[in-house]
This record gives sequence, structure tokens and C-alpha cells, in this order.
Amino acid sequence: MKGVGLIFKKEWMEFSKDRRTMFFTFVIPLILFPAIFTMMTKMAQGDSDRRRGQASRIVLNDPGDVVRPLLGADAKNFQLVPAPGGDLKQALRDKEFDLSVDVEADAPGKLQHQEPFTIKAMVDESESSSELALKRLKETMKKQDQAWVQARLEAIKAPKDLPKPSNLVTEKASDLALELSKMLGLFVPYILLIGLYTNAMQHGVYMTAGEKERHTMLSLLSTAIPRSHVIWGKLLATFSIGVLGTVMNVIGMSLGFTLLGHQVAGSEAAAAGATGAAIAPSLSFSSLASPETLGLTLLLLIPLGLFFSSIILVLGTQAKNTREAMTAITPGIFVVVMLGVFSTAPGLEKMAALPYVPVLNVALTIRKLFSHQFVAWQYILAFVMTSGLAAAMAWLSTNILNRESAIFRQ
Amino acid sequence: MIKVTNLHKAFTVKDGKTKAKKRIEAVRGISFQVNPGEIYGLLGPNGAGKSTTLRMIATLMQPDQGNIEVCGLDTQKEGEKVRGKLGYLSTDMNVYERFTPRELLRLFGEFQGVDPTIAERRGIYLLEKLQLMDFSDVKMDGLSSGQKQKVSIARALLHDPKVVIFDEPTTGLDVLTAKTVLDLLRVMKSEGRTVIVSTHVMPLVDEICDRVGIIFDGELYGDAPPREILGRYSVRTLDEVFFQLAAGGVR
Repeated sequence: MKGVGLIFKKEWMEFSKDRRTMFFTFVIPLILFPAIFTMMTKMAQGDSDRRRGQASRIVLNDPGDVVRPLLGADAKNFQLVPAPGGDLKQALRDKEFDLSVDVEADAPGKLQHQEPFTIKAMVDESESSSELALKRLKETMKKQDQAWVQARLEAIKAPKDLPKPSNLVTEKASDLALELSKMLGLFVPYILLIGLYTNAMQHGVYMTAGEKERHTMLSLLSTAIPRSHVIWGKLLATFSIGVLGTVMNVIGMSLGFTLLGHQVAGSEAAAAGATGAAIAPSLSFSSLASPETLGLTLLLLIPLGLFFSSIILVLGTQAKNTREAMTAITPGIFVVVMLGVFSTAPGLEKMAALPYVPVLNVALTIRKLFSHQFVAWQYILAFVMTSGLAAAMAWLSTNILNRESAIFRQ
Repeated sequence: MIKVTNLHKAFTVKDGKTKAKKRIEAVRGISFQVNPGEIYGLLGPNGAGKSTTLRMIATLMQPDQGNIEVCGLDTQKEGEKVRGKLGYLSTDMNVYERFTPRELLRLFGEFQGVDPTIAERRGIYLLEKLQLMDFSDVKMDGLSSGQKQKVSIARALLHDPKVVIFDEPTTGLDVLTAKTVLDLLRVMKSEGRTVIVSTHVMPLVDEICDRVGIIFDGELYGDAPPREILGRYSVRTLDEVFFQLAAGGVR
């Protein structure tokens, strides 16, 4: 097997000479994902802060003046604006105000007789500012309702807890780390599938059809190294570059998620009145993905990476040049993207047949690993099935390289 | 030594218009032998079957029928051993442009199982011989086509092969460099190596070949010293032999 090692070494040497591609394959993912996540969070947070700092514009129709004093007293959250002329619904859609509130005319009378009165609110759910206005109104009314109830209870000298026969106390089984880990588990299979395929594509084509196009393949085949060793060396090189590039993507993404977690934890702490720094340090990279999760995920990458690399090598060895190879291989990206998108679908793990579907069972297994729901037989099945496919494709690519028609196609 | 016996090779090609498959006999019953210390010239027009014959000897293709022995080894059964004893260069070959000549030679030395120290020494010897030492550490994408061809020659000879097959070795080379290559071929002959050279350049054949075989339509003609062939066809140059063969009169 010395020949395999030599070809592997040659491919890596050649790859390492292309500094730009190395940078884009290994370094960019480490910068890109954290940068994107940080930017996205900052933008979302900035937008949220801006909205929170502004009072919601309310068009209020309250003939009995029941709600008006409540909203008028809270200038920080509400600004009462006059009703615009024309269609009120359209004006709301046009963002001329945030919420329209209609209190029934008989509200004071009903309140006096301890009967419920109706408040109608018109909200534009497609606008976060309108949703925020509704949320604020609900909170204000909830507080006021409690005050009215307490007043009524006091009037009849009833205990304060009369309307609360029970207390529901909740305890969270998951924490922010698990939530983020599950989210990461949704994206990791997608990134793995696409990353493995595209990385293998880029480098596999260079090593096969590219070698033919550059007229270097013959010099390689005229050496004492057996052809099977040539193809296995190339397969291992394609696989290792592809997997390493993908691992960098996953690490980059995990770093991004860790940063995201820090920011979310920080804002939650700030909202709770504590300092963000008190909570944030508990959210580390390892709390999102344990060493076992990462190890088992990486182990699954071996057959999956080999499978994708072999597909690329089969197509690349048959093609006479890079263009022809890319034409044959590119449709595969769409298939892989579709599989990737499908793998992020919610409720996927409930499909009974999925553990038996090649490639997708890898996505499912990884997802379960990140959700802390490891199922051993599913993992083994995905591993064995993908390994079998990889072996079959590798055998096929070796056979193709042995065909004269594949080498000497003009 | 190279011994080729009753070699046959056919290809199936698709007709562009009719899409029908057609079988083309590229090599038809070729037999010849090249001895150690001999330079054998393989001549013929484009598509005559020269390169196919050479590729079969170099184990890059398998014959449909017939037998090839290189240094007593059967090319069909012991391809890897044959390739270890054979230096092959053709116009279809190029260098790895991301490497320097020194890196490439070191790597191919390993491919051919040569000890790294010996490969390094031999690489330097060949680069000096081919006047390429000044460029030994220059990335090959910056070299001229002639310089790349020289590196290819060094690559083919690095493992000190007993048998050398050069398909159009002087293509793309200037007169001075071509002379260097011819001198190298003479050195190989004097060292007792078996050499086959395929070329279109007739003066080159006259100058260095001990015997010549002309392939035409997949069949071998001549297989004799150049002077003897000229006498046999009653012509003054090998070009004229070509013309006569093309006319179909004196096969």
C-alpha cells in the first residue's frame, strides 16, 4: 500500500501549493460563520432595542374613557395618535400607527356591574412593531385586570388568593445550551452534506479530470505504482481535504453558535436584572457539543466523505476534462442541497423509514446526537450502510481507471 | 530488450453522423525486437498506430492479441515490474506545474521506488545534462514549453530505466536542446539501454537510429537499418518511403 501513501502525499503537496484554495477551504469557515452569526445577532438585537425604546403608536377609540387613562399614563410604552382618515386597516398596513384599539362604549357600565367588557385590537402580525404594541397592551390590561379583581375581592372582604386556587411551578429540563445544541444539530447535517460534496467536487475533479486535462495523468500511470493505488491515493486525498474542510465549517459554525449563545445569555441576564457576564461563561463550545457527540459525528464523516469522494472520482475519471466533469457532477449539488434542506425539516426524526434511507440516515443520526438522543442501532446502521456505498463506489472508480477508454478519451 | 510478437489492437469508435459503432484496427500483427544498446526508430504518419504500439509496450494499453516482453517480463502479466524498468515519454504528457523540477523528480523517484539519495543525485545529473539546473527550484508554471519537455525527459529517465520509449522527444525543443536530447539518447545507447524513438523528424532517424520500422495502417514495414530500407525501396530519403507507402504500391 506504499503507492497509496505516495499518491496521497503527492496530492496533498500539490494542494498545499495553492495557498489561496487552502485559505478558502480551511481558514475562511473559521472566520465566516462567527462573523455572520455575530453580525446577525447584533443586527437583530439592535433592531429589537430600537423598537423597545420607542412608544407604540395607538389609535384609540374609547368613548367611556376606561382604557385611555391607562395608556395615557404610560408614555414610555404608548403614544396615542389620532385616527387617520380612510381605511384604518390599510393605514395600519402602511405603518401610520402600530395598533388600533376599540373599547366598547358600555365599558364603564359593565365594569361597574362587574361584567366583562370587550376591547378589540387590530394588529398587523407581519410587523414586529405592531406585535410589540399588542404585547404591551396585553401586559397593561393584565395588570389592570388584576388590580380590578383585587379591588372587587377587597370589597367583599375575600382573600387575595381567591382567584388562584393553584400555583403552577415550572422547572426547565433543558437549558440554553441544549436548545442551541439542538439548533446546531439541525444545521450540522446540512453543512456536512453540502460541505463534503462541494469540497470533494472541487478537489476530486482537479485530481482526476484535471490531471487528464493537464496531461499529467499518463506520467503518473507510467510509473510502477499500480492503478488501484493511484485511485485509492486520490480517493484518500479527496476525502481528507473534503472532511478537513467540512470539519472547519462545523467548527466555525459551532463557534458562531457559541458566540450567539453568549449574546442570548447576556441579553437574558440583562433582562433578568443580572449581568450578562454572570451567565455567559457557562455556555461554552463543549456545552453545545460534547466530545462524544463530536467524536461520533466525525466518525460518521468517514464513510460519508468516502462515499461522496468516490462518486466524484467515478465521474471525474470518466470525464475527459474539467468542464465535462463539472457538467456531470454539478447536478449532484442540487440533489445534496435538497437532501440537506430536507434534513433540517422539523419532525424528521419521527419518520419510521428514515433510518433505512442512505445519506439521510446520517443526517438523522447526527441530529439525534446533538439532541442528546443517541440510538445505537440507528448509528451503526447509518455507518454500515454508508460504508457499503462508499466501498461500492470506490471499487467502481478503480475499475473505471483501469479502462483504456477512460484514460485515452480525446 | 523489447520483443513484440504479432500485436493486434482495435478500437470501437462512434460515427458522428450515423451514431453507428465502428471497429478500427489500429495495430495489425506487428512484430519486432529491439536489443540492448540499440536505438529503434518507429516512424509513421499520424494515426498509423505508432503511439498505440508504444502505449502497449509501456503497459498503458493492453493488446487484443499478441505478446510483448520487456526485459523478459510479460507486459500483460507483470505491468508494474515492466513500468519499473521502463522510461516512457510521450507528447500526451505534461509536468505538474505547481512543483519545481527538483520536487517533481524527487516525487517520481519515490513513485519508481528509487532511494531518495540516489534519486536526488540522478535528478541533479539529469538537470545538469539538460541544462536546467538554474531552473531546478523554479515553479514549473513559469518555465517555457521546451524547459517543461526537458523536465519530462528527466522524469522519464530518473529511475535509470533499462528500456526507454520516447514518443516525439524533440517536439517543442529548439535546435540546441534537441541536440542535447539526441546526445542523451546516444549516451543511453552506449550504456547498453534499449531505446525506441518515435518521430516525424527524418534527419533525427538517420542520425541516431540503428534500425527503423515504419508503421502504416497498423502494419509494420522496414524493420531494418535506415540505409537498407532506402535501398529496399530504391529511394534517397525516408520521406519518399512514406510517399510510396501512402500510394500503396510497394508494400
